[in-house]
Amino acid sequence: MSLLKINDLKCHYLTDISTVKAVDGISFEIEEGEILGIVGESGSGKTTVALGIMGLLPENTAFSGEILYRDELISSLPESGMDRFRWKDIAIAFQNGLEVMNPVMKVGVQVTEPMIRHLNISPDKARSKCADLFRTVGLDPKWMDLYPNQLSGGMRQRVLLAMALSCDPKLLILDEVTSALDAFTRKEIRDLLVDLQKKNGYTMLMISHDITFVSSVASRLVVMYSGRVVETGPVRDILVSPRHPYTRGLVHSTPDIFVYKDLWGIPGDVPAGDEFKGCPFSPRCTQKIDICNKASPVLMPAGGGREIACHRGGIAGLLEAKNLNFSYRLPDGEYLQAVDNVNLEVREGEVLAVVGQTGSGKSTLAHILANVIRPECGEVLFMDGNVSGGNYGNRVNGIQIVFQDPFSSTSNRFTVLDAVKEPLYINKIGSNGDRLQMVKNALELVRLPGTDNFLRKYCGELSGGQRQRVALARAMVMEPKLLIADEITSALDVSTSANVLRLLKGLQNRRGFAMIYISHDLSMTLKIADRIAVMNSGKIVEMGNSHDVMLSPSDEYTKRLVGSRIGLCCHNH
Amino acid sequence: MVKDRNSFIFRLSLTLFVILAINFFLPRMMPGDPFSTTSADEAGEEIIVMTEEQRLYYINYYGLDRPLHEQFLVYIKNLMTGDLGRSIYYKMPVSDVIMLHLPWTMLIVVGATVISTISGVVLGTLSAMNRKKGSDKIMMTGMIAFAEIPSFLLGLILLLIFSVHLRLFPLAGAITPFANYTGPAEQAWDILYHAFLPVVTLSLAQLTDVYLLTRNTLITVTTKDYIRTARAKGLGEKTVWTRHALRNALLPVVTRTGFMIGIMMGGVVLVESVFSYPGIGMTLRSAVVGRDYPLIQGILLVIAVSILICNLLVDKIYGKLDPRVVI
Repeated sequence: MSLLKINDLKCHYLTDISTVKAVDGISFEIEEGEILGIVGESGSGKTTVALGIMGLLPENTAFSGEILYRDELISSLPESGMDRFRWKDIAIAFQNGLEVMNPVMKVGVQVTEPMIRHLNISPDKARSKCADLFRTVGLDPKWMDLYPNQLSGGMRQRVLLAMALSCDPKLLILDEVTSALDAFTRKEIRDLLVDLQKKNGYTMLMISHDITFVSSVASRLVVMYSGRVVETGPVRDILVSPRHPYTRGLVHSTPDIFVYKDLWGIPGDVPAGDEFKGCPFSPRCTQKIDICNKASPVLMPAGGGREIACHRGGIAGLLEAKNLNFSYRLPDGEYLQAVDNVNLEVREGEVLAVVGQTGSGKSTLAHILANVIRPECGEVLFMDGNVSGGNYGNRVNGIQIVFQDPFSSTSNRFTVLDAVKEPLYINKIGSNGDRLQMVKNALELVRLPGTDNFLRKYCGELSGGQRQRVALARAMVMEPKLLIADEITSALDVSTSANVLRLLKGLQNRRGFAMIYISHDLSMTLKIADRIAVMNSGKIVEMGNSHDVMLSPSDEYTKRLVGSRIGLCCHNH
Repeated sequence: MVKDRNSFIFRLSLTLFVILAINFFLPRMMPGDPFSTTSADEAGEEIIVMTEEQRLYYINYYGLDRPLHEQFLVYIKNLMTGDLGRSIYYKMPVSDVIMLHLPWTMLIVVGATVISTISGVVLGTLSAMNRKKGSDKIMMTGMIAFAEIPSFLLGLILLLIFSVHLRLFPLAGAITPFANYTGPAEQAWDILYHAFLPVVTLSLAQLTDVYLLTRNTLITVTTKDYIRTARAKGLGEKTVWTRHALRNALLPVVTRTGFMIGIMMGGVVLVESVFSYPGIGMTLRSAVVGRDYPLIQGILLVIAVSILICNLLVDKIYGKLDPRVVI
C-alpha cells in the first residue's frame, strides 16, 4: 500500500488578471519507507505540490484532484480535519527564509509547540525532547533560547528540520532544505537525512532544484516542468540516460554531474501564457514536431519503471550508423581498414565527441556520416531515412560538416559573400535577395560583421580564426539538424580555438542542433561533449557519458588516452 | 554604547529646548496680555476691568515689560530649579495648579488609551478573521465613516443624548459637588460615573485608527511564511491567530498607542471643554483665554514631556516585544 497517493492534482492560482497553472494534472505515489525526489527548475510547481499535500494552498487557488494518505482522502478535509494529520503524520521542513519562523518566539518554543499539542506531553518533557532533537540535527541545545534572527541560515535550517522531526512524522516533506546552504552544511544535512532514513525508516518527499542533492538521497525521481511531470524513474537510470529533453537539459546543467564540462543552461524560460495548449516544454525543445504545439503529452510507461511525457517518446534518435566499413588502398596494394564495423547513434540536440589519436579513422568516419564518401558496407540513417538516398547534406535542416583546415575548405579567391552563399546557390535555395539576408544572418551568428565591406573581402585576406568562422557560417546558412565538426580548432592557436569552440557550443545550445565533434584533444572535448566515443584503429572501443569515460575509462586504450594528457605541476591526472 | 547614550541625551536636550522656546514665545505672540481681558469666560463671571495705571503696574510686577530674551532667560533659570512660575489668574504656583488638574486628565487619557486599544485590537482581529466576508466590510465602512466625526462634535452629541435627554450621565464636572462619600467604593464609582462620557468620547475618536491598524497589520502578517509554518504544524486556527499572528501584529499597535497619548493630549483640550471636565485641557483653554503665560507654558511643558516619556516607553517596550530590535 502506498503511503501517499496523488491523483491528477491541479492547483491553479487565480489572480485578477490571469490564472497561473502552478500544478496542472500530476499523479504520483510514495511507498512506505521510500525517498522520492521531485526536481525541476524554479517555478515548475514543486513547492505548490508540497503545500497542496499539507493543505496550505492560498485562498485564491483552484484545486482539483485527490490526495490520499493511507487510503484516506485528505485533500477535501477542512482545516480542523487536516490538523489531525499535520505534523504527526505529515510534516514539512520548509526552505530556510527570514520569516519562515515566528520572529518574536524563541526557536525552542517553536519546536516544542507542536509536540505539546500533538503528543500530549508536558512542556518540560517537550523541552527535553527538543534538546535531543537539537543534538540530532547537530545543534547545541543552548540555542533553544535564541530568536530566529539570532541564528545563521544553516542553523535555522537545522531548527526547521528539528521542528519537522519533532512529532515523528510518517511522511517527511523536505522543501529545498539545502538550496541556501554552503557545501559543508549541505553535505552534513544530506548525511543526516540518509542516517535518519536508515534508523527510523522515514518516508520522505524531497523537493529541490538541486538534482545532485536529491539524487544522492532519493531512490526515485519525479521531474517536473511547468506544473507537469515530464519524466519519472529510478534515480540512477534518469541520471545516466535521461529520456526527456528537459531532464537531459537539467542533468547537463548540473556541474556536479558533468564536472569537466562548461556550464550551459537550458535556453529559454518556462512559458508564462496559460492559454497554450501544447507541450509546455515545446518552446524550448530542440526536437518538436507539429503535434507538440497542439496537444500536451501524457505520462506514459517507458519500461524499466520509467514514465515519460513526450510526443516523440523522449529524446529522439537523429542519426544512426550501422556496421560502417571503409578501407583505403595503400600504394603497396595493402588495404588499411580506416573504419572498422562502426555502429553509433546520435540523438537530437546532443554533442557526441569522437576522440582518438591521429590516424584512428575519425575523419573518415566523419566524411562517411556527412555523405562525403560512401562506406563500403553498412548504412547511415538520418531521421530514419537513408542519408545517401535522402541527400541530407544538400538540404536545409540536414547534415553539414565543417572541416579541419579552413585554408583549404574555403577558397582564397572567393569573397566572404560567395563562400557563405555557395551552398544556397548550389542547392537553389531562396532568391538572390533572400540569400544575401541569409548570409548576413549566418555571419551574425558566428559573430562576423555583415557589412558590405566585409562581404566583399576575399577569404585569402582573412585570419585563420575568421576563415574558420566563415566556414562555420557556410554550414549554419543551411540550418543543419546535425553539424559535424571535424577537428575544427586544430589549425588555430589556443586563444582563437577557445573562441571558436565557445562560439560553436553557444550556437549549438541556442539553436539546439546535434553535433558530432571530432577531435584528438581530450581536454577540449570534455568542455563541450555530452557523450564521448573513443576510436582506435577504425573501431569504436568505448562509448559513454563524457564524465564516465573520463573518470572511469574501462578500455585499455581509453585509459592510455586519458593518461596521456600532459598535466601541469599540481594538475596531474 | 557610551557614544550612543551621549548622542541620545544631546538629542533629548535639544528637543526639550526647542519645545521650551516654542512654549515661551508662541503664547506671547498672541495679541493682548493677561491684564486686558474684556470678556467673561463663563456666564456669571465677574469682569474686572483695570485702569491703564493698574495694568502697567501688574505688567511691571510680573516682569512682562522686560525684553523678551531676558524674560526667557529668567524662565529657563527658574525652570532649572524646578520653579514653573506663578499663575497670574490663579495667584498660585503653576505646579500646584497643574497638580490639581493633571490627575483628572491622566484618568481619562489613560482610560481612553486602554479602552480604545483593547477594543480596537479586538474589533480589528475579528474583522481580519472575517476578511472578505460581509461583516468585515460593514465594520470597516462604519469605522471609517465614524472616524470622520471630530471628537468635540462627538462629545456634544453624546452629551445631548445621554446627559441632556436620557439623563444617564452628569452634564459637567469630575465629581458630584459637595458629595459626602460613605466609602472609597462610592467615591470611585462617582469618579467613574463622571469620567465615563469623556473617556468614551476620547476612546471613540481613537478607536478607528487602532482598529484599522490592527486589521491591516494582521492581514499582512497572515500572509507571512511563519503563519504558514504555524498552520502546517496543525496548531489549530485559534493558536495560529493569537500566538503567532496577533503577537506580531501588535508590534505596530504598541508604537501607535504611544503616539496616541500625544494626540489625545491635544484632543483632551476640546473634550474636557465640552464636558466641563476639570483636567489640564480645560485649564489650558482658560489660561489661553486669560493670557496666563506662566500657566500656558507649564501645561504645554507637561504635555510635551508626557509625550516624550510615552515615546521613550514605547521604544523600551518595543525592544522587549521584538527581539529583532536592538536599542
